[in-house]
Amino acid sequence: MPRPGWLVRPPEPVPYADANEAMHDLARRRLTGEIPDTLVLLEHPPVYTAGRRWKPEHIVWNEERIRAAGAELHFIDRGGSLTFHGPGQLVGYPIVDIGTKPDAIGYVRSLEEVVIRAAADVGVELHRNQVQTGVWSGERKVCAIGVRLMRARITLHGFALNCTTDLSWYDAIVPCGLADEGVASLSQLAGRDISVADMTLPVLRHFERVFGLELESRADETDSFALPTVQASATIA
Amino acid sequence: MTTVTMPQLGETVVEGTITKWLKQEGDHVDQDEPLFEISTDKVDTEVPSPAAGTLTKILVQEGQTVSVKTPIAEINGAGAAAGGAAGAGESAGAGAPPDSAREPAEPVAATPPPAEPQPQAGPGSAPAPAAPAAAAPPPAAAPPPAAAPAQRAAPAPAAAAPAAPLPDRGARSQIISPLVRRLAEENGVDLSQVIGTGTGGRITKNDVLAFAVSRETAAPEERPAAEPAAPAPAAIPTPQLAPAPAVAGGGEEVVPMTVVRKAIAEHMARSLQVSARAWNMVEVDMEKIARIRTSAKGAFTAREGFNLTYMPFLARAVVDALLAHPLVNSELRGEEIVVKHYVNLGIAVSYDQGLIVPVVKGADGMNLIGLARAINDLATRARAHQLKPDEVHGGTFTITNPGPFGSILSVPIINQPQTGILAFDAVVKRPVVIDDAIAVRHMVYVSMSWDHRVIDGAEASQFLARIKENMETWDWTEDLGL
Repeated sequence: MPRPGWLVRPPEPVPYADANEAMHDLARRRLTGEIPDTLVLLEHPPVYTAGRRWKPEHIVWNEERIRAAGAELHFIDRGGSLTFHGPGQLVGYPIVDIGTKPDAIGYVRSLEEVVIRAAADVGVELHRNQVQTGVWSGERKVCAIGVRLMRARITLHGFALNCTTDLSWYDAIVPCGLADEGVASLSQLAGRDISVADMTLPVLRHFERVFGLELESRADETDSFALPTVQASATIA
Repeated sequence: MTTVTMPQLGETVVEGTITKWLKQEGDHVDQDEPLFEISTDKVDTEVPSPAAGTLTKILVQEGQTVSVKTPIAEINGAGAAAGGAAGAGESAGAGAPPDSAREPAEPVAATPPPAEPQPQAGPGSAPAPAAPAAAAPPPAAAPPPAAAPAQRAAPAPAAAAPAAPLPDRGARSQIISPLVRRLAEENGVDLSQVIGTGTGGRITKNDVLAFAVSRETAAPEERPAAEPAAPAPAAIPTPQLAPAPAVAGGGEEVVPMTVVRKAIAEHMARSLQVSARAWNMVEVDMEKIARIRTSAKGAFTAREGFNLTYMPFLARAVVDALLAHPLVNSELRGEEIVVKHYVNLGIAVSYDQGLIVPVVKGADGMNLIGLARAINDLATRARAHQLKPDEVHGGTFTITNPGPFGSILSVPIINQPQTGILAFDAVVKRPVVIDDAIAVRHMVYVSMSWDHRVIDGAEASQFLARIKENMETWDWTEDLGL
């Protein structure tokens, strides 16, 4: 019997700062047992995020150039180094309680499994990399994964799957601090358009299977992910 | 006493790196309160304290990597507070999330009725710690159960935002989304007046907006009717609310601190807290160096590919003075002074992210040209964000150089755990008295902030005098290959 969980799927791209706050809020509620395991699926406007392991040399463009290109830059609390989020990329933030004896690495492997199975559904074969986290096609990363645990048990952040992502955005950074590997998108690998919408259901379905959940869509919870435009832009400025 | 060990975050995980201590030695910590953060592969986590008490000893410092189960800290003294925490944690077990992720409790069953203040927001319902408290509290010390929740209500939600604790809303206390809180503040809405319609009586964005609109309908003269949903001017204070994330007023802009900015802020404030800073200055006649620099400049640039600045002259003079006055080149560790008979010279460099101090390793083995090359290389790569991590660590003394920006006198803050930091300001022409005649010379103020815990004014003055003498009298021609 799958356990009940929530699916939160904001209809519009969510500014990173808002999503980050809302995600931490969900995790705090998960910690108190107020809500069940929850998967947030969304897209972001262009944004670069630097995890705890970022180094100055991983940012190729400077901050001015990044902002001039219409993207934001955020320094955040997840593991890993730099990555990009933007249009055409399916971002998943699972808020999952992995218990008092957390297997963090096992959790990351499970996320990889979800993405590998979902990609197989649309005919793209992806695999793990022996050394590096994420989901790969050859030497190119298609899906970045970065995770943080709240109180050593509730998961934060998650995965970012390139569907129709404009890969030139990655020119600004050394993705995840790996200078020698490149990035790819599902559409590029398949030679046809595989959109975020195309991937949402497969990802959702395999997330449910891998984690033993049955997700109920909670439209009321998308609320926290979208403020009126005026307030949102004021806080980002 | 409870020994805190490096937790194991998975069967294949053998080690972890401490990325941040959230408490310092001597701090009180509650059970389940986040104590430190660790990093493994691609996963970072904050780790809750297994016990309440005083953090007496940190055994593993930030940045160090140790294998799992290694002792990393000691927590002392259960005391009354600890007893209450542990006791409540046990008795509130029914409301806590399950131990295994594979079978979570029914969320509805786990959520207490909103009218009860207890476990919903407080850590009483927080998960059991990874390692249990070492000693069970004596039953006599445990406060009556009714008192426990109030005592424990405050720290829980502060985990990710310690600077903005949630206000206590008494019986209706629950987690308010930061967005809702911000929206309420911007609209001047008192959240205690709002009835929540979300899960478990939670207040949603729409509740706040509806409340704001209904209040406007009741008092229409206060707002233009054409813009019923317009937010109240941010300048109107709402003092009954706890401090929330900063909100920009007219003509203001809220800029989040970058990681680098935060690190500098923390480092500088801490330095002033721990050191007894004093300051001395000498004035150095740069005429000789200015002339030799002018004559050597062209050939130097042609040969080396970069300009000859005053910095290598200063660095060379400072290295000599440090070797002659090793106490200035020392570090206070506990109650012992570690004197270093080698010089790793930190050079403060400003770049687009703020300030960084790359270190010229083995500066005492370099002549003027070697120092010039090393400083130019580090400064260039610092500005291009290309320094390696070990190039910004291990300095024994630091030079800061605000001269290029026009400053003629600076009082720097010591780069901990060093004992001194030297400021080299702008070289300017000044009228000076030489042999009872007034002359115009290239002059500079060279000053040092130093730690009075380690050295005294006499040592500092002699050190500066040595630098002055070196710079004014040394023959640099040989070093420059002239």
